[in-house]
This record gives sequence, C-alpha cells and structure tokens, in this order.
Amino acid sequence: MNFLAKNKILLLVYRNMPRQDLSEIVNIMLPPQFYTLKKEDLPLKYAYQAKKIAASRFDGLLEHNAAYDYMVYKEDDAWVFIAYNIEEIAAFLQSKGINVEQVGKLFFAQQALHSFETPVLLGEKDALITIEDVVVNVPQGALKEEEIIQKIDESFTPKTGLTLNSSFHSYLSQKQAIALATLFSVFALVFFVEGWRYGDKSAGIKAEINLLLEEYPSLQSQYTRKSIAEKYETINRTERRKRDVIKTLAGMIFKGVKVDAFKMDEKTFMIRYRCSDAKVSKHLKEVAKKLGFTSVKTITGNIVLIEEKL
Amino acid sequence: MIWKRYQNELIVLFSIVLLLSGLLYKNKQNADSVENRTVTKSAVREFKQIIAHKKQWADKSIAKKLDKLKSVVPASKLTWHKKAKTLNAQFKGLNSQELNKVVTTILNLAIQIQGLEVKENHSSYDVEFKCKW
Repeated sequence: MNFLAKNKILLLVYRNMPRQDLSEIVNIMLPPQFYTLKKEDLPLKYAYQAKKIAASRFDGLLEHNAAYDYMVYKEDDAWVFIAYNIEEIAAFLQSKGINVEQVGKLFFAQQALHSFETPVLLGEKDALITIEDVVVNVPQGALKEEEIIQKIDESFTPKTGLTLNSSFHSYLSQKQAIALATLFSVFALVFFVEGWRYGDKSAGIKAEINLLLEEYPSLQSQYTRKSIAEKYETINRTERRKRDVIKTLAGMIFKGVKVDAFKMDEKTFMIRYRCSDAKVSKHLKEVAKKLGFTSVKTITGNIVLIEEKL
Repeated sequence: MIWKRYQNELIVLFSIVLLLSGLLYKNKQNADSVENRTVTKSAVREFKQIIAHKKQWADKSIAKKLDKLKSVVPASKLTWHKKAKTLNAQFKGLNSQELNKVVTTILNLAIQIQGLEVKENHSSYDVEFKCKW
C-alpha cells in the first residue's frame, strides 16, 4: 500500500474518457473542464484571508444552483482562486468506474503549471498546455507539428491536494470526526492520568511500609511479626489489667477502711480490707460489687475479702 | 478499501475505544488502589502498634528506671536482688505514704509484675515485689 501521495499513479481525467477498471488507489488530475480559475494580484498576506473572499471573486461566473468549494494558493505574486463542484466531480468519477474510495487525492492541472509547459494529450482531440501561466485546454490541431508531446506521470503530482472520501458515503464529516475524536481522546487522556495518579497514591503508602521495614528489619517476616505482635499484645493486656485492678482496689479505701493484706501474682489477686464496723464493711461490699468484683466475701463482721482471677 | 469509505467513523470509533480503555484503566487503578490502601494501611497500623508495644514493653533503659524504686524508701528498709532481667525486692516497715510511693512507682514502670504482696504489720507495711522485663 502506498502512503505517500506522490507514489500513487496520477490519472488525468476528462469528460469523454473511457470507463476505468482500477485495482488500486489513484490520484486524480483534473483539467480545466472541472474547475473555474481566477488569478488576481491582491494585497493579502495569508491564505485564510484569501479563502474568505474566494466566493466573491466568482460573482456571476458560476452556476447559481450548484454548491462550490474553493481552493486558494499563492502563485508567485498573484493569488490563485479555483472554484470546483465536488459533487459534480464525484459523480463524474463514479460514472467512469472510479469509486470515491479509490481516489487518493484530487489535484487541479493549474497546480502543476510548470509541468504543462510541454503539452499533454487529453483524449483524442484535445491537449493541455500552459499559456501565459494558465493551464488551458486546446485542440490537438492547434499544436505545432514539431511540438514534443509528453505523457503525464507521477512527477506532475503537486504538493497539496483535496481529499474526496470524507464528503461521501460517510455519516460524519471530517470536521465532526476530528472534533469528536479530539473530545474523546482528551477524556481518555484525563482518565489515564487519573488512573496513573491512583496507582501513584498506593506507591506512597508502600514507600511508608518499606521505610518502616528498613528501620525494623526484624519485622520483615510476616510470621515473626505475628508472633511478636501476639507476645506484646498479651503482655500489654495482662499488665494493663493488673494496673487497673490495683488502682481500682486502692480507690476503694475510704474512711474506716484499711488494707490488711494484698497479694497479686500473674493470674490471680486477693485483697483483705479491715473495716471499722459492720456498716462500713457493708458499704464497701456494695462499692466492690458496683465496680464489677464478683467474688466479694465478708469474713467476720468487719473483714471484707476479694479474691478473683485476673 | 471499505475502511477508507468509513474512515471518519473509524477514527471516532478508535477514539471511543481509547476513551473506554482509559475509563476501564482508571476504574481498575481506583479499585486496586482502594484495596491496596486498605491492606497497606492496616499493615502500617499493625507495624506501628508492634513498634509502640515493643518500645514500651521491651524498653532497654527500664533496668535503670527501675532503680528509682531504691530512692523512694530508705536503704535500711529495702532488700534488692536484681539479676539479669528480673528483680526481687522486699520493703519492710513502710508507712502508708512510703507504701503509696512504692506502689505508684511500680505501676508507672513498664515491667511485668510477677508478684506483689502487701502485709500490714503493726501499723506499718511489708511489701514483697517480683518483676521481669
């Protein structure tokens, strides 16, 4: 497949040409039969300015009921305006067996001005030749007998041409397609960037873990970590419980209550309070039960004993 | 050559495919990220907790801190046996103020209490204390 316009066969078309049977994509060279030309010396700097006024240059020259497009370019000091009817060109090509999708690019003979300085035959009767910087259609009989005749080839292909495909058979115009594709691509880009940023956030937390692992290499193994965690969890829980119990028992000493004996080991504790009278011991018992001690006993009238597991 | 006929539609279709790929990629990254963050955050929390516990319960300076207990009561009332990572201390004839100080100091140290015994003896107190770290 040829991707470069210049590598494709350049086919010079004309009104009464025979039907074509093409097997590949070709570029088309259109003779003046298919366009109207105007050349003017205007004080314009840019092509877009010239394109804006192109329609006005052809006032009264074109058929009213046809839709025209315009090609504009600068040739030496003059601006060249070419008006063409793309629908008419497409219909003509179709009638000659050239499908729209078989057309690479369309060129106007005027664009290859210098290539036509030596005449090129256009069918059996006519020829194309540049006269006074304009490519014109002349009868072959008007050529001098000794004039050299050249054949058109790829070297005639101008740098820029028209693309025909998007105007026909397509549900979307090229402009619409480009606009939609741009919009969707921008969204796609936003999604990709967002996705990348989500990935990046996770990397931040992983970096924190790596930093901790570097600082505490002994915690790298999950089993070691689990075992260390369990060991310290148990110590933390039991030691806090011991301290809580001691603080609670100490908080139960009020007027008339004295600690007679206290004992705590790793699994159990026992405390014996000596109260001043039976009333105080009763109150102490109530307080102990309120604080969640279940095994509260009264030994004689004034001694209260609490003995429980941690 | 059919592709050329519908090349505009194909361009748009391609950009839609790109858009959907972007959307899927973003959603997948988001889901992965949420999962990763949950797992990793819990791992970080676990790590920090282990480190905090280790700092508290395996404090290398605890042996020195434990010596504070000696200063709480006069040396005459104290019998002190510190060996390797264990302590066996006996306090005799403590008044209630000294007893409070001893118990408070013990409670504020990050040591593992193996045994604590308080006995009243003629208005004074005898304390036996065993711990490890």
